[in-house]
Amino acid sequence: MQIAVLYGTETGNAEMLAEDIGAHLGDHEVTVCNLSDFDPTGFDPAVLYLIVTSTYGEGELPASAQPFGNAMEAAAPDLTGVHFAVFGMGDSAYPETFNYGGKRLEEMMKNAGAVMLGERVTHDASGDDLADDLAFPWAEAVVAIAEPALAA
Amino acid sequence: MPSVAIIGAGPSGCYVAQALCKARADAAITIFDALPVPYGLIRYGVAADHQGTKAVIRQFERLFERQGVRFAGNVRLGADVTLDALRAGFDAVVLATGLGADRRLGIPGEDLAGIHGAGEVTRAWNGYPDAVAPPIGRRVVVLGNGNVAIDLVRILAKGAAEFEGSDITGEPGAGVEEITIVGRSAATVARFDPVMVKELARLAGCRIAVLGAEGEGKGIEALQSLHGHAPEGAAKSLTFRFGLTPLRFLGDTAVKGVEFSDGTVIFADTVLTAIGFEGDAARDVLLADASEEGVLAPGLYATGWFRRGPRGTIPENRADALALATRIAADLPRDGGKPGIDVPGMTGFDGWVRIDAAERAAAPEGRVRAKITTHAGLMALAQNTGETGCK
Repeated sequence: MQIAVLYGTETGNAEMLAEDIGAHLGDHEVTVCNLSDFDPTGFDPAVLYLIVTSTYGEGELPASAQPFGNAMEAAAPDLTGVHFAVFGMGDSAYPETFNYGGKRLEEMMKNAGAVMLGERVTHDASGDDLADDLAFPWAEAVVAIAEPALAA
Repeated sequence: MPSVAIIGAGPSGCYVAQALCKARADAAITIFDALPVPYGLIRYGVAADHQGTKAVIRQFERLFERQGVRFAGNVRLGADVTLDALRAGFDAVVLATGLGADRRLGIPGEDLAGIHGAGEVTRAWNGYPDAVAPPIGRRVVVLGNGNVAIDLVRILAKGAAEFEGSDITGEPGAGVEEITIVGRSAATVARFDPVMVKELARLAGCRIAVLGAEGEGKGIEALQSLHGHAPEGAAKSLTFRFGLTPLRFLGDTAVKGVEFSDGTVIFADTVLTAIGFEGDAARDVLLADASEEGVLAPGLYATGWFRRGPRGTIPENRADALALATRIAADLPRDGGKPGIDVPGMTGFDGWVRIDAAERAAAPEGRVRAKITTHAGLMALAQNTGETGCK
């Protein structure tokens, strides 16, 4: 399966996790790409998109995802037939805006017609879990759901 | 194989190393630090109750564990090795030493007992080796309107139970009754991040009054939303004041208060200044020679607070470090290169791994670590002299 891991980062934590997920799914044809370098008109229904993003400031998208967010609004692409999943990184020390970045990207993709696979999972920087330990099972589960979905 | 020496294992230095690992996998990178422990301000500056912010350490651990970057601790630039020796030994030398000195107000009475800079205070609260925590009285004035000032008031306003999950050393605000945070400028131009202000609304034992925060904007809204915060049984109070320029400190030997230019006097037995950090004369000389941003001379670079001044959070300094790494990657020789040097007495990443394990193992209930707070204690583990085996 073709998989694109797209990340939005500000401190590099989401970038590292995206690279780890990419390596973990090494049996597939995986690319890892910063959202700042990704053109929203380039979504391909043959590819599974795994989006990894943090949250910054008052629930805003991280810096590297902001150009993508703006481009999504401007281009308003029709993403019918595109499948994606979202893994958020947040910090529960800021409960009012915990993982808003992931929520926003989920809404953006769904509003454009794309279909989300699985549940949006969020890692808590103030918690005890390692991000990899949550993200690897999430990615495996999403890929398992995606195989029939993308083949259909 | 080209060689790179990065001076300072704080976030800026580590981000330069991380980007260089990607851009020039052939480079041999050494990160020097004055202390036998890495991570600089992430360990000793980021507040003890902001452990999530410290999570970037996981990225930097990889540099040393998997990516072949060498940690050379216990090497102080100027004392243990000269800049000339490093420049002779490495193809590129990056100064990422930050800014350690508290900026002074320069007003009468500044040397009275009971007046302390934010850097001095936060280092002690963060368990910096051999730093002595200044005594904190009952009535505290914090001068400053940035996030460092907010860190100070939040930590003073918290009780022991509110430090669950932190690695704080002690309970700094144990005896505090009144805190006043004073800004020279109007509230509209205060440099607090709104998210830092809003966090104060969760203080469990402190009433909050915000005086004179008129205007519009997210920052003002955040401040106004705090006004009237009054948890049941609160034993402490916090007051925000704006537009007050400190004129002089009152008192004979110990500070008794602060007088402002409009005649306002706020009485206090402790004053903490959080008006920024500065470097020394040597830094000024180095930066004066800079031909362009971040490049001080051929093969000599600067990044982070050392270059930019005490502004910007971890993400902003990361962006600066990534840009500089691109430049260094282009400058490094393609063939050959200098071999790098060792410095006598330097300690390795294995030393930090032992320190880290010991600190985590010693964490009391409700804390994630108990820092080793003496240089001798850190060195004993770093050099493995703490394990004496059978006696």
